[in-house]
Amino acid sequence: MLLVRTALCWLAAGAAMGALLLGAKAVPMPVGVFRLFALHAEALLIGWMVQFAMGVAWWILPKYPRLPERGPAGPIWAAWLLLNAGVLLAGIGRSLGAPEATVVAGRIAELLGATAFAAAAWPRVKAFGR
Amino acid sequence: MPPITRWFVRSALLWFLLALSTGVLLAGGVSADIPGTDWIFPYPTYLHLLTVGWLTNLIFGVAFWMFPRYSAEHPRGSETLGWLAYAGLNAGLLLRLVGEPIQMSGGHARAWLLLSAGFQLLGAWAFVLNTWPRVKVK
Repeated sequence: MLLVRTALCWLAAGAAMGALLLGAKAVPMPVGVFRLFALHAEALLIGWMVQFAMGVAWWILPKYPRLPERGPAGPIWAAWLLLNAGVLLAGIGRSLGAPEATVVAGRIAELLGATAFAAAAWPRVKAFGR
Repeated sequence: MPPITRWFVRSALLWFLLALSTGVLLAGGVSADIPGTDWIFPYPTYLHLLTVGWLTNLIFGVAFWMFPRYSAEHPRGSETLGWLAYAGLNAGLLLRLVGEPIQMSGGHARAWLLLSAGFQLLGAWAFVLNTWPRVKVK
């Protein structure tokens, strides 16, 4: 639930930034608006699409016959935390012109989040009922 | 499959074909040094045909169909919000497809781009509003 709801938040925010960026091609806007580009791309590609796919996969992959039926909660919380920290660091970092190390740290956080998710989802990729 | 999902998914398939065709024309035009290629088929338009036209339409359509029911009377939430999401997203993208090349070639397509921005924002927010209450434990 948290992954999908956070993805919806990024969609709402990313679409608003996109509307501003497209509007800035038509009417003069403060230069700062163009800096939103990096955050717009990070929010919609990773925050929205990737996170939404992770959330739906977590919901729909075959469950375990025992509790907790979707497996331990720890790795999926870690995935959520790392992925969103990564989007914030990489997106805001690049938009604000922060040192490149900030963007790299964000991308590493996203990778670690994806790794935590893959490790948690891996054993659930199996035939239903097994 | 509800009618709105059929519209979303069929539109997604059409945008997918158009996006990849644009990709071929863009790459071909650039490699052959055909003047004006980069503003007739702007790269941002190509990217948005793929990400908004193909991926987002497909996601919206399938989510509207498959997510947990809102209620017994309104299993998919508000049909009006669903159609607003469809119309906003696709009308907005269509306006961008026409407006962006005109603007990049030095023409005047301000209204097209502003309307495109507004419509796509409306479409995304309508989807979020309708989907949010359906994200719940079955």
